[in-house]
Amino acid sequence: MRARMMIAAGAVLALAACGEPADRPADAAADGNGVVNLYTARHYDSDLALYDQFTASTGIKINRIEGNADQLIARMTGEGAASPADVFVAADVGALWRAQQAGLLQAIESETLNSRIPENLRDPDGRWYGYMRRARVVAYDKEKVQPSEINTYEKIASPRFAGKLCVRSADSIYNLSLTGALIEAWGSQKASEWVKGVVANMARPPQGGDRDQIRAVGAGVCEIALTNSYYYIRMAHGEDAADREITQKVKLGFPSLDGQGAHVNISGGGVAANAPNRENAIKLLEFFASAAAQEHAARYNNEFPASSDVVAPPPVDIYAGFAAHPMAVLAFAARQPEAQSMMSAAGWK
Amino acid sequence: MEVTPAEKRRDHGRKGFPLLPALAGLAAVAAVLPLGGIVVAALSGEGADIAPRDVWRYAFASAGLSLLVGAITAVLGTAAAWLVVMYRFPGQRFFSWALALPLAAPAFALAYAYADLFDVAGPLRIWSRASLGFDLPLEMRSFPGAAFILSCAFYPYVFLAMRAAFLGQATSMLEAARVLGSTTAQALLRVALPLARPALAAGVALAMMETLADYGALQFLSVQTLTTGVIRAWSVYGSTAGAAQFALPLLGAAGLLLWLERMGRADRRFVSTASRWRTQPTAELHGPKATLAFAFCLILLVAGLLLPVGWLAWKSLGVSPEWPRLMQAGANTLALGIASALATVTLATALALGAQRMPLAARLASLGYATPGAAMAIGLAASASIVWSLFPAAASTFWAGVILLIYAYAARLMAAALEPVDAGLATVSPSVVWASRSLGRGEAATAWAVQLPIARGALFTAGLVVFIDVLKELPATLILRPFNFDTLAVLASNYALDERLPQAGWPSLLILAISVPAVIWLSGKVAASRPGQ
Repeated sequence: MRARMMIAAGAVLALAACGEPADRPADAAADGNGVVNLYTARHYDSDLALYDQFTASTGIKINRIEGNADQLIARMTGEGAASPADVFVAADVGALWRAQQAGLLQAIESETLNSRIPENLRDPDGRWYGYMRRARVVAYDKEKVQPSEINTYEKIASPRFAGKLCVRSADSIYNLSLTGALIEAWGSQKASEWVKGVVANMARPPQGGDRDQIRAVGAGVCEIALTNSYYYIRMAHGEDAADREITQKVKLGFPSLDGQGAHVNISGGGVAANAPNRENAIKLLEFFASAAAQEHAARYNNEFPASSDVVAPPPVDIYAGFAAHPMAVLAFAARQPEAQSMMSAAGWK
Repeated sequence: MEVTPAEKRRDHGRKGFPLLPALAGLAAVAAVLPLGGIVVAALSGEGADIAPRDVWRYAFASAGLSLLVGAITAVLGTAAAWLVVMYRFPGQRFFSWALALPLAAPAFALAYAYADLFDVAGPLRIWSRASLGFDLPLEMRSFPGAAFILSCAFYPYVFLAMRAAFLGQATSMLEAARVLGSTTAQALLRVALPLARPALAAGVALAMMETLADYGALQFLSVQTLTTGVIRAWSVYGSTAGAAQFALPLLGAAGLLLWLERMGRADRRFVSTASRWRTQPTAELHGPKATLAFAFCLILLVAGLLLPVGWLAWKSLGVSPEWPRLMQAGANTLALGIASALATVTLATALALGAQRMPLAARLASLGYATPGAAMAIGLAASASIVWSLFPAAASTFWAGVILLIYAYAARLMAAALEPVDAGLATVSPSVVWASRSLGRGEAATAWAVQLPIARGALFTAGLVVFIDVLKELPATLILRPFNFDTLAVLASNYALDERLPQAGWPSLLILAISVPAVIWLSGKVAASRPGQ
């Protein structure tokens, strides 16, 4: 008897807790302007405010699933034609390319997007658009390294930094994209030499995230580290006093690729192949590309705006003046399997 | 196999709707479907272009890590259990339940905390370089570091199993050993340990399976195993087949471990029960020995729980959490945990009741437990896609998503529930069952009226085991959850991916807050298994 009561009580509890989820898609669909279902690999708290702004201005409700890009891709693949996904957003062009390769994105026509997003930061066929930029650059110990010693990517892999480089693993899509860009710019031969040089320069086996690399420079484990720009900017202007102190000693340098500027990656999104709310999906992408949304993301997530007419807000304004390489991001995104094999072969774990 | 009267009656009994066999069949299918998905995926196409050298490296890392963790947890768990059962020393009563507490902490949370605490730019090593003049050789993002962290997280499996075994051991045998001149240590090595071999095998197998299955912690620590190989093949090379091929050896290893565990348990019934329930005589420890015993237990608890959790809490205090989001995720987690526990225990009970007729189904269903979360996710995505293509609405409605998720947990955790349910049902005397059947009750009615009430303690235990595991589950939740539905583990993982460790601390601590009472209850349950203790 007691067992039965226990089960009943448990069931009631479960129903009570499940019964009122915050935003049920079914409820939202009842609204006049409908919904848009967002699968996003960005999970910054500041993006939530952005979604609220979109709903406030359009009346379109956003249902979201956050996760890492590969899990979202797996989910969309599994859902197939039945997928409720309208928009897929990722924080690296490599992930957008993987989604595109898997046939998960559709081409769209949008005058707004085409005019707002520079040509090299979007898919020529309109399957995805990059609305924020991040540079993969170098954090260096200002007491041991001159800015001129890290002003090209070649120099990072030179014997000058033997045993003095910190970098995360080859699994990191940011590293795959950077190596892909070098293959695109230099060809396999030279890129392979570069990868070997990086492996020879490693101060320790790859480990941790980009912030960990910057902290390792601060701790004197290495003199230079590869990092995405926004990690450094967050540390330099964030809440954590210890992190801010590290950035007194560690500075951010922007190496140039063939004299044309630093390697730049995107955060971006595309409309899902079977989007049930296609029009709303396009509206959401256009909203992400708006000056206000780019400014918001730059301010709170410390990426750089994609559109040249958006003035970078503080704190990113200090860093936003760098030269960005004009390479089409699609070009290096497609080279990631080659990059992975090259890095594995060289012993980049 | 001997045929019991009950089974004969089943064959010639009344023909009604076979509820129990139907449920048991459903349970078996539910558990096996994702595994089938992996096999099908593995055979379905070209593998990823990953160098054979790397494959071997991953395989060695997986094997080495699980063996190392198995060995460390065997020693630590057994020693701790022996101390708290056989001796009296300061804190012994407290440690006898508290040493199980690390079970409440997700392995990924321990990894976050230890990696940060012992980071080269972390407080400890900065201090050591400044004060001692040299760097402490304590790198957690390494193979030994990972072995240490996973051992801290998983030793309670061995501790709980061994503690139950030592408590349940026939006092007379240990007395005989002592009378014949053995020291306590010799009694441990020559009598108690061989007798407890099944429990040791079960506990170590669990710890090793958890090690093989771990993704969250190892990925964070940059230790590459077959499980991270699954992810690399899947994401970078976009090769489901390649990923599934990595998953197959893991499945094989899991099957082997389960077989070992079952083999170990086969002997259990031969243990003498004579004068079993006399209070286990315990020896009082004094002086340095008492201090040593106390210190050992304390270090274990500090390393497994207090240090990493304390550090996470300390880091988290520096940032203000997003309470509404956390509370919503907490409510979701709690509801999912309870619902999954009910569903899984129901299916496992049906499977246990039907196990005599479907022994293979029960074994196969157990494989899910040892399947790495990442591999499981592939199998689940494959089988979920069948559901999604048959019922397109299922992909977008809230309840369909929740049900799919609960199903995933049930498939993954069936074995964890099956073990205590099996044990509980075994305590029901067959004569009681026959009496009920001869009085006209059907199979299902007998189970409901007679067997389940008697085994309800075991069912509750099984439910708690599932509940605790669901709180910590990550990969399946990430892939299958419905819109606007986050769990605490998902929040923690997302924050950690963003390299926002202090923020990741809050959901991790909430998971602990929810699971600690459950672990305390579980731990108490083991102690209560010996009346008079």
